[in-house]
Amino acid sequence: MTTPIIRRIVGWLLPFLWIFSFYIMLFGHLSPGGGFSGGSVLGACLILDRHVNGANAFGARFTGERLLKLSLAALLLYGILKGQSFLAGVLHMNGLPIPLGTPGNILSSGLILPLNVLVGIVVAVAFYLIATLFEEGHL
Amino acid sequence: MNTFSMLILGLMIIGSVAVSYVKNLMSAVIVFMIYSLMMAVLWEQLNAPDLAITEAAVGAGITTVLFVLAIRRVRRKVS
Repeated sequence: MTTPIIRRIVGWLLPFLWIFSFYIMLFGHLSPGGGFSGGSVLGACLILDRHVNGANAFGARFTGERLLKLSLAALLLYGILKGQSFLAGVLHMNGLPIPLGTPGNILSSGLILPLNVLVGIVVAVAFYLIATLFEEGHL
Repeated sequence: MNTFSMLILGLMIIGSVAVSYVKNLMSAVIVFMIYSLMMAVLWEQLNAPDLAITEAAVGAGITTVLFVLAIRRVRRKVS
C-alpha cells in the first residue's frame, strides 16, 4: 500500500509532525496539549514511519523489547514522582513543588513538565507496539 | 452555537448515519474518519483545543490505521 505518492508526502510531513508532537508534549502545561495528546501524535508518527519506510534504522535500533523497557522505566519514574507528591501531600510535608506556571516560561511549572513527557513516552510506545503487533504479528 | 458549529454538527450526524449504510468497508472507515475529524473541529469550536488535538490524533489517525490493518488481515484470510 506504499505508493511513491505516500512515500514522498510522508517524507515531507514527518519532520513537522515530530516537532509538533514534541511541542505539544513540552508545552502541555502552558498551552493546549499535554502528555496524552503529544504521545498519541508521536505514536502516529512512529506508526507512519514504520508503515512507509518499513523496519528501517529506527525499527532496528528500537526493538519491541527495548521499547517495552523504556515504557516500563517511564512508568516507574512516573509512579515514583507522582507517589512522592501524593505522599508528601498526605503527610503534610513539603515535596517537590508544583507551582501554577507562567506562560512563556517552560520550566516554571516544576513537576508537571517531566510528568507530561513520561506520559507521552508511555502512550507513544503503547500505540506503536499495538499497531506493529497488529500489522506484523510479532514485536 | 453559531452557524458554523451547526453545519459541522449536521455533517457529523450525516456521517454517523452514513457509516452504517455504506457497503464498502474501506469507504465506511473513511466516512468514520471524516466524522471524527468533524468532531475535532467541533471541540475546537466549543473552546476545548486540548481535546481537539487528542480527537484528531486518536480518532482520525490511529483508529483509522487500526481499522485499515484489520480489514486487510480479514481479506487476506478470506480470499
